[in-house]
Amino acid sequence: MRILRGVAVFFGAMLLQWWWSSHLGRPGASPQFLLALTILLAARRGPVLAMLAGFGWGLYLDLARAELFGAGALTLVLAAYAASLARRQIDLRAAAPLALLTCLLSAAALLLEGALGLVFVSRFQWAGWLALLVVPILNAAVAAVLAAAWDAGGPR
Amino acid sequence: MQRETRIAHYVAAALSVLCLTLLSLPLSPPARSVKAAVGYALDPLAYQGEKSWRRLAGAPARVRGLIAADVENQRLRGELRRDAWLKTAVLALSLENERLRTDLGLTPPRARAPLWTHVMRRDPDHWHRSLAVDAGSDRGVSPGDAVLGPQDGKLVAVGRVVDVRPEVSTVLLLTDKGSFVAAYLSSGTLEGLVQGGDGPRLRMNYLSAEAGLVPGDLVYTSPTSAVFPPDVLIGRVSRVHPRDPFLTFQSVEIVPAADASSLQTLVVLRRGGLAGGGSPDGAEAAP
Repeated sequence: MRILRGVAVFFGAMLLQWWWSSHLGRPGASPQFLLALTILLAARRGPVLAMLAGFGWGLYLDLARAELFGAGALTLVLAAYAASLARRQIDLRAAAPLALLTCLLSAAALLLEGALGLVFVSRFQWAGWLALLVVPILNAAVAAVLAAAWDAGGPR
Repeated sequence: MQRETRIAHYVAAALSVLCLTLLSLPLSPPARSVKAAVGYALDPLAYQGEKSWRRLAGAPARVRGLIAADVENQRLRGELRRDAWLKTAVLALSLENERLRTDLGLTPPRARAPLWTHVMRRDPDHWHRSLAVDAGSDRGVSPGDAVLGPQDGKLVAVGRVVDVRPEVSTVLLLTDKGSFVAAYLSSGTLEGLVQGGDGPRLRMNYLSAEAGLVPGDLVYTSPTSAVFPPDVLIGRVSRVHPRDPFLTFQSVEIVPAADASSLQTLVVLRRGGLAGGGSPDGAEAAP
């Protein structure tokens, strides 16, 4: 039952990301549900599961990307790892620190993807000021909502 | 706890190495095909911008062609929807025009049914004179029908049908020496007769000797034309010929709007056997 629920969350998150991006998303200003969920998984269930899920979700994101196949996966794996390191120093059970961490890691993820572009295609993949200013805040809000849903009876 | 941390380090290192390997390796054509197809299925809008070629770069030509065809199909569907609205507006205006013409007692314009055709053949010996299209009497084409061609999103004058067989018709181009079209200049109401010269340019004669002519004027078919509907673009004045003291009119050189040698599709305006029409040989009368 637990495995089934995990599989449902894994594919449901991808479906949610796709649906939001294609129906409600604005260019450069869509929340990254998969990143927020990866950080939440790292905060609640530990780094290994979060990194494996982040890797899968990252490959899914990379499929829709024009270049840099693997950059999304690396970003989510490192975000999960960083969240698990932060978990030892900060209490991420509360919504506020989790949202703050998600906000910081989202900005770092955007810059990391840009830097990977500089290394692998000799061009910084600049997401734009709008994305850098808005997406971390949206991700933080998403993380807070998902954490509330998790604590209220979601997958444990 | 220590064990879990150690495992986390190993997993992070292994996955990072895997990701960096994926980033470093060039994708094989089948992998690029799958990536392009899945990417397009997930986010088709991303393939419609100017930078969409980057998403398809490296994908096999067939996959690229399929996606490009679907993108074009979507775009054309959008244009068709827009055209449907335009068609409704044109129909309403046409009905209003007909009602006003009836009220004013004017003769109704000759009805013409457009027919899209493909250019089948060009004669190398008569490059600027004629071409053959893949529609004939079986599709209602008759001698003297006007032929237009698409150029920059508009239909412009190309020639007229002179010979009709069951599945093929011959179009006499405006640039043929035997072509004559009544026309007017856009800068005023000066009318003249546009003639071909078996070359790439046209000549417009019988313009008033007193008129001031300037290059760049647009030339349109005249309402007095027996073959063409009025106000169809013919070309642009490229040169004003020096005034000949022995002639009572001026003439100008025209660059045709349609480059007939590059057109692939043409529109034949079928008169559909309606009463009225041009002169039997299809030639235009002088204005």
